Amino acid sequence: MSEPKEASILTKVASEVFAGVIAPALENAPLIQAAEDDVLAKEDVLVRMERELKRALKKTPAERRWVMVIDLRRCVGCHACTIACVAENKLPPGIVYRPVLTEEIGKYPNVTYRFLPKPCMQCENAPCTPVCPVNATYTNEEGVIVVDYDQCIGCRACISACPYASRTFDFGLNYTDKTIDGLAMTLGSKQAGKYETAGAAFEYGERRERKHEQSPIGNVRKCHFCLHRIKEGILPACTTTCIGRATFFGDANDPDSLVSELIAKPNVMRLKEDLGTEPRVYYLV
Amino acid sequence: MIKKLAYLFGGLTLLFGLWGFYDRFAHGHQNANYGSYVVWGLWVAMYLFFAGIAAGGFMISTLDLLFGIKIFKGTGRVALWGSLVCLAAALISIGLDNGHLFRIWKVYLQGNPFSLLFQMVWGYTIFGVISVSALALASLQPNSPWLKPLMAVGLVVSFFISGAVGALLGVNASRPFWHVGLLPVQFPVFSLASGAAMLLTALGFFGREDDENRPQQLWILSLSSVVLLIVKIYFMWADYSQSMYGNVPMNVEAVRLVLFGEYWWAFWILQVLVGSLIPLVFLVQRKYATHNHWAGWMGILLLVGYAVARGLIIFPALSVPELEALVHAFSGPHLTFHYFPSLMEWAVTSGTIGIAVLGFLIGSEKFNLFSPTPKEA
Ligand code: SF4
Ligand code: SF4
Repeated sequence: MSEPKEASILTKVASEVFAGVIAPALENAPLIQAAEDDVLAKEDVLVRMERELKRALKKTPAERRWVMVIDLRRCVGCHACTIACVAENKLPPGIVYRPVLTEEIGKYPNVTYRFLPKPCMQCENAPCTPVCPVNATYTNEEGVIVVDYDQCIGCRACISACPYASRTFDFGLNYTDKTIDGLAMTLGSKQAGKYETAGAAFEYGERRERKHEQSPIGNVRKCHFCLHRIKEGILPACTTTCIGRATFFGDANDPDSLVSELIAKPNVMRLKEDLGTEPRVYYLV
Repeated sequence: MIKKLAYLFGGLTLLFGLWGFYDRFAHGHQNANYGSYVVWGLWVAMYLFFAGIAAGGFMISTLDLLFGIKIFKGTGRVALWGSLVCLAAALISIGLDNGHLFRIWKVYLQGNPFSLLFQMVWGYTIFGVISVSALALASLQPNSPWLKPLMAVGLVVSFFISGAVGALLGVNASRPFWHVGLLPVQFPVFSLASGAAMLLTALGFFGREDDENRPQQLWILSLSSVVLLIVKIYFMWADYSQSMYGNVPMNVEAVRLVLFGEYWWAFWILQVLVGSLIPLVFLVQRKYATHNHWAGWMGILLLVGYAVARGLIIFPALSVPELEALVHAFSGPHLTFHYFPSLMEWAVTSGTIGIAVLGFLIGSEKFNLFSPTPKEA
């Protein structure tokens, strides 16, 4: 007889206290058989993906093929991934790497929402890179599309070329601009603003200050699959933050990886396939 | 009188522009209204406009300096100088639009030759060098054997740079409004039309009263402008009707924005009425077309129409979301699909226009452009 899978989920993903309270009540309850592709039933996917990430890092960069899989059925539209990304990369106002597109479907009273988290698709056949006049944006060895902030002249041709609106331009704004200064460390542009301006982020493993007209101000910015975290064996910020475990990340060149398993499913799709951009971001529908 | 008015216009527009230039350098792009969705705004439109006149001005100058058409004798240098000041204005516009203007040297030394922008930067550089050399030769050694070959090469380059501007937009497969083979093809025609309108304005306002060729020059330029305008309208009809019948949603929406949406007034009032119909009515009548000031004013109206037309190629295509739900997905400054230029953007454009107008006036006096032959200068 198969194991009671719902109970095992609780013990794995819920807090111990929560599980302790609920689990006894479930003991005699009829259990619903989890779907075969329900990855949660096996192990918290984050644990598995971290393990696979470390395995992938042992290979040379060219042997890896990072992909992201987003299960739209699991996304609850909480926007936690968007905010995690903003926090991780210290994104200033007007810059977004991973918005969640929300669509209302149907007519009252039969209305529902559809959520679509949208990072950069890291296109295999990226239209954004060949237009760059100075090779500032290119596909790195691991297949991730990156921007060299010191090379970019800010012409924005790449934004125009991207069919997924995955690039935004850094206009040099800060959230704390023009806020009233107070005594406390957390108030005003002078004090709290330091958080925003000093050591802007660790994108691409670089530490940059936000100073007048200095990169990344005046540059185009985009999702880079949190390369700086990956390098250290940590999953991208959006992936670890997703409360619905809807975002999966890993090496598609590893046949045993979770992402390889997922993208082999028939219910997989990619955005605007007809353009031939070959995105490395897959959606499960 | 008209010259004084032109100086006043140039001075005032430059004065307003100085504030814009200050703001642009002090605050970068913060006070601009273009953003990450409508990624190119007024400055890019003005770049297309000025670059169009630059290329077209050169093309028109070949009538005199390459093909030696008698009736256009003496107009070559005027057209060349007009082309050069417009080239400068175009480069100022696009330069200020860049996030890191002072890294432009990277395009020369660390560039990507396959990028259209790279090719254009090189194209403009070569074009600028040819134009300056041709003007110098035409002024100092008009009989030099080098002049004609130089003009011939320049003519080819001017077609290249004007077509490349169209291609820069046309290669964006993600923007169906631009992604039509016809778009890059239209740009040399646009350029020629702009060049003709520029020369019509220049000769109409500042040409020598005693030049017996002038009425005929104005008449030919007027008729050419009318023909080019009609060709342009035909292209527009082809584009818009194909978009509407093709029924590709992104395309239909872009055309709708122009005809009935947020840009309707610019299209119907400025481009169609002011920039096309009024000049058309006057320029087909010889008495107005050859009347100096009428010709000059009609040239100005044509140029206004062409400038608006450039904006209406750029903005609508970018105002249609690539994915519909993007509109409300994330909010913040510069994340909107609606665009109207900010005061700072207008100021910078005003300053650019001021530089072009004053540059043309001062240069035409300094180099005696309107004297019949360079020797009289
Ligand atoms: S989604 Fe856009 S920015 Fe990302 S790789 Fe594709 S074209 Fe480039
Ligand atoms: S904005 Fe920067 S990265 Fe994009 S095309 Fe221009 S120079 Fe290249």
